Amino acid sequence: MRFLSLASQHRVVIILGLTLIVSALMVPGYLSASTLGLGLDRAATIGLIAIGLTVLLISGQIDLSGGAVFALAGIVSVILQREIGILPATIVGVLVGTLAGAINGMLVVGLKVNSLVLTLATMLIFRSLAHWITNSQPVTGADIMLSLALAKIYLDVFTARSALFIVLIVVLHFWLTRTIPGRNVFAVGSNPAAAKESGIASDRIVFLGFVFAGTLAGLAGVLQSLVTNTGSPVFGSELTVAVIAAVVVGGTRLEGGKGSALGTLGGVLTIGSLTIAMEFQSVPAYVQQVVSGLILILLVVLDRAVTTKGRAPGTRPALVRDNPITQGGNI
Amino acid sequence: MTEAAVEISGVNRNDRFTRGSRLVDVLSKAGLAFAILAVMLYGSFVSPAFFTSGNLLNVLTSMSIVGIVVVGMTFVLVVGGLADLSVPATIACGAILSLGLQPMIGPLPAFVLAVGLAGLIGLLNGVLVGYAGINPIIATLGIGTIGLGIVQAAVGGVIVYGSNPASAEFAKGRLFGIPVVVLIFLVIALVGHFVLSRSFWGRWTLATGGNYGAAEASAVPVQAVKAGAFVITALASGISGGLLGLTLQSARPLIGAGYEFSAITAVVVGGVSIVGGFGSVPRAIAGLIFVQLLTNVMVLDGVRTPIQGFVLGSLIVGAVGMDAALRKRGVA
Repeated sequence: MRFLSLASQHRVVIILGLTLIVSALMVPGYLSASTLGLGLDRAATIGLIAIGLTVLLISGQIDLSGGAVFALAGIVSVILQREIGILPATIVGVLVGTLAGAINGMLVVGLKVNSLVLTLATMLIFRSLAHWITNSQPVTGADIMLSLALAKIYLDVFTARSALFIVLIVVLHFWLTRTIPGRNVFAVGSNPAAAKESGIASDRIVFLGFVFAGTLAGLAGVLQSLVTNTGSPVFGSELTVAVIAAVVVGGTRLEGGKGSALGTLGGVLTIGSLTIAMEFQSVPAYVQQVVSGLILILLVVLDRAVTTKGRAPGTRPALVRDNPITQGGNI
Repeated sequence: MTEAAVEISGVNRNDRFTRGSRLVDVLSKAGLAFAILAVMLYGSFVSPAFFTSGNLLNVLTSMSIVGIVVVGMTFVLVVGGLADLSVPATIACGAILSLGLQPMIGPLPAFVLAVGLAGLIGLLNGVLVGYAGINPIIATLGIGTIGLGIVQAAVGGVIVYGSNPASAEFAKGRLFGIPVVVLIFLVIALVGHFVLSRSFWGRWTLATGGNYGAAEASAVPVQAVKAGAFVITALASGISGGLLGLTLQSARPLIGAGYEFSAITAVVVGGVSIVGGFGSVPRAIAGLIFVQLLTNVMVLDGVRTPIQGFVLGSLIVGAVGMDAALRKRGVA
């Protein structure tokens, strides 16, 4: 029992280690710096969205529209490049993500509806906007050289994107564990009513959580578009499951109030290295989807089993309906 | 107990919706009827093609395919299961297998097997949501991803074509002048309505969605009821997918993409509460009629597909927001 809880606490390390070992055995040359750098770069896209989702999940909410915001922000930044220059276009692209997050947050807090259902609807809206703007065609950027510069590998391992991801996750770790606003996020997620009673502005934290998540999804989308020099309305449609899987692998609970930045780092690295390993073995995309779906389901079930074990005999596990995540915050 | 059960089963009488104000209930029902009329009126103004029998028959046929899913999705929402996002996978399962297995075992067994396997996906959803207590959206998202991946892997990620013209003729044919697909939808809708409003299973579904703890205390098998809603949806989507495949005589893996949103939109626009415990099949179908007519008018009006998605998404937000507002008033 103690071993089990210890294992579940440090499961990220175990899962990541196992993934790396299995991948190294199956893919020759897997543990070389360039392969790992490639994996890290790939993981950074998932990772940036996962950073935002980690904060949101801890506060007891979820955002399913991340993939659509990712596409929309990228498209906006690419389209505007010729009009207003590359740097302003990049900034506007990220701000599109911020705006999308603010819309999500406002609707969830204002209408007091379930964030799962609401962001499902806004996902549809943002995705349609992306198709609308581009006429469902991919768009290309103005400067191909910038893509090459961004894809450049420093210190054998890091690209600009993956370095940014690592820095942000470390900052997030300190913010969540060492600062008062960070701690408030946990308070809101584990018991919104109690948090409110203790004078924490739950609504504001939830709103800002959505803004943060939107901004990071936008940032990830803009970076992806800069690196590939394209914006496409279908970008990011398969990201939702992968990102949620990464965050859940990292030990963040869908029920809110529990999670960590370093856990998310581990989860993102796991998903990233798995993806790279499967791509090197030319596993078809749909099999990769099966794998990330399986990981997600298995870990969510495991979480559920471990949480339920601690209860007194005869009491029922917490209902799905009781959780803020399914009730939509503070009803 | 029996009195309470009767109260719960009478969806139009003593539910949370009407507890606050009867006016709100009347408005919410008549509102939808007005909306449908308004769309028809607008449609007949902007396009001369709208009120032709050909167009309305088209709307009816495409409505029927979604409608079969809507009947199942109503159960999921009423039982408090939020939404079933594995619908694209179950539709693809129904369509691909009912066409792909035709040469081997014949059209009817292929159809039955396809629907059965779709039901199996629903059973997985149901076990995860009902028994393991996993968040429904996460569970169905994950299972849907896995299911779709397996179906794609089974056919090698390619498009499957039909090989039995007789079955295609049947699916595209008419009985007494009404398309067969529409008749099948009507039968399923009637059965669904009967089960939800008149049977013990429907009472259990409403009770579980309305107050899980109280239902459990009243010896309702809450876990099975919750799981059952997902099985029902998966079977319905399997049938819908099979019919879609037979009609089109081809099935790509992404054939069902978007159907989950169409179904959810119809159900919530119909005024079925997203938190469960309230709703009926006729309401959901009224929502479906509204959404389908609106989409049809937009198509005739030359509105592009992305804008239609935008409108659908906005409708969900609006309907969910209205539900939350009405719920608050009902409780006060």
